[in-house]
Amino acid sequence: MISHFLGLLRVVAASFNMQAKERATNQLFVGTLLILPVIFTILSVSTYIYGGKADFGLYAVIGAGMVGIWNANLWTSGRIVEGERRGGTLSALIAAPTPFPVVLVGKSLSNAVVSLISMAMTFATGLIVFRLPLDIENPFAFIISLLLTLVAMTSLGLVLGSFFVLTRNAGAFIEVANYPIFILSGLMFPLTILPFWLKPLSAALAPMWGNLALGVAAGLVAGNPWLIDLYLIGLSLIYLLIARALFTQVEYRVRRDGSLETF
Amino acid sequence: MTAIVIENLGRSFVTTTGTIRRTQKTVTALDNVSLTVEPGELFGLLGPNGAGKTTLTRILSTVLLPSSGRAEVLGLDVVRDAKQLRPRIGMVYGGERGLYWRLSGRDNIQYFADLYLVPPEVSRKRIPELLELVGLKDRAEERVEGYSRGMKQRLHIARGLINDPDVLFLDEPTIGLDPIAARELRTVIADLHNAGKTIFLTSHYMYEVDALCQRVAVVNKGQIVMMDTPAALKQLVANLEVVEVECLSVSSEAINRLRDHPRVEAVHVDNRDQVQVLQIQAPGGVKYVPEFLHLLDGANIQKVVTRQPTLEDAYVKLLGKDAISV
Repeated sequence: MISHFLGLLRVVAASFNMQAKERATNQLFVGTLLILPVIFTILSVSTYIYGGKADFGLYAVIGAGMVGIWNANLWTSGRIVEGERRGGTLSALIAAPTPFPVVLVGKSLSNAVVSLISMAMTFATGLIVFRLPLDIENPFAFIISLLLTLVAMTSLGLVLGSFFVLTRNAGAFIEVANYPIFILSGLMFPLTILPFWLKPLSAALAPMWGNLALGVAAGLVAGNPWLIDLYLIGLSLIYLLIARALFTQVEYRVRRDGSLETF
Repeated sequence: MTAIVIENLGRSFVTTTGTIRRTQKTVTALDNVSLTVEPGELFGLLGPNGAGKTTLTRILSTVLLPSSGRAEVLGLDVVRDAKQLRPRIGMVYGGERGLYWRLSGRDNIQYFADLYLVPPEVSRKRIPELLELVGLKDRAEERVEGYSRGMKQRLHIARGLINDPDVLFLDEPTIGLDPIAARELRTVIADLHNAGKTIFLTSHYMYEVDALCQRVAVVNKGQIVMMDTPAALKQLVANLEVVEVECLSVSSEAINRLRDHPRVEAVHVDNRDQVQVLQIQAPGGVKYVPEFLHLLDGANIQKVVTRQPTLEDAYVKLLGKDAISV
């Protein structure tokens, strides 16, 4: 039992390394990681400054960082599966004795950790371009919330990843899903301006809670960051359970339909 | 215990056409296939493109479910016991896909060693051995994108062997390789067989299965047409002679006239660049060459040779018009 668990951890570590090595050679990914957060920060902070709400600067910076992290996660769950399918490696991964979700966890975590660079880029842009006072009220809670946000977003990425194994058009789905999720999660505009009927949808999204936890830890929103962190942990567990159930179904369906190689 | 048992295996695919008014069509890839492979045997599955070879390999390697029938590998059901079976088999698909091109050859093998939970102390020893076996030891640190097609194919083999499988599935491993690379790969396959591995090889190259396999099944349109040793397959055409006529512009009418000749058993047309080569199988064929040439009047004949039949001719005889150019 323990050796099996250690073996799976080894697969997670190997997939983590593999993903990092592959991504390091991908200029588009590096561009997404470095350039996109800067553009988002400039657009977002400028919008608030122009609208006479310069005190929302830190909120905009955190939101832009979350956009970068979420992009990296969607890249993980969508583009990785699509890339494996196109490269002909998806069937080899499915045929390996290790469950495919374990591979995806390693690859997702790799991207999630690297995506922290996005957050660093947004803070650097806020400081250098706008000279914003980026004071974090509770730095320790901020770091813990950030890590838990990564875990929750990676877990949500796994749920989406199971659908991406089924579909041949993960790329198109990413394009469509990106902006509604940004809006529903309050990454671009405060949630208070969303209509009431959209709020239950927001509550199911990890980026919304992550953004809220970071906002509370930074002192932008009133509340207890640890309670929101607990919610993030619970949400991650629910995502993982859903992902596990979905992957069992998905593996059966792709074997039944013979769709592992079609793209 | 028999290494592979296949009983009445069938597989069909549903394809759809049209955007708004979608119509479905069911294509049968495998139809009631039954065969067995013994431990340590090198078994060949021979057939033209689309015959069902890859479908069968994918079912046996657990990535595709059958529509009907059953298959066991090493006593394990490929559907029900896939989880237990996967660590004990290896699969090698033909072509250049299926590798991480941006990583080195060694990284590719190491990753699959981890996925197959090969203990680190074992993989440290096995990876250099496999790289040596497939002749990639000196290029192991280079990115796969810089490898030739033959090198990628050999890397596929090394990857398929990383878990020291009891049964190895090779799906058209020499496809698209130049003659020298294909010969080197066949040497690797023969060495693996001599080392005691059970190998299930698919190919549409007759000389390949003739050179390597102990038994061969000829498959066409999802069905097994014949299953025996390569020598027994050749016996099918032992009484024949083959007349090869190279011409520049043969008509389908002329080919039909040849097929209607009372002594002709089969005619296969092989398109090679600018020329067509007609392979005419007939008992005592040499005697009828003048008659054949008369029937091919106007075909712009370049060369005529007669020869003894090979396994390829047995294949042509079995498949008739479905046999492809090789």
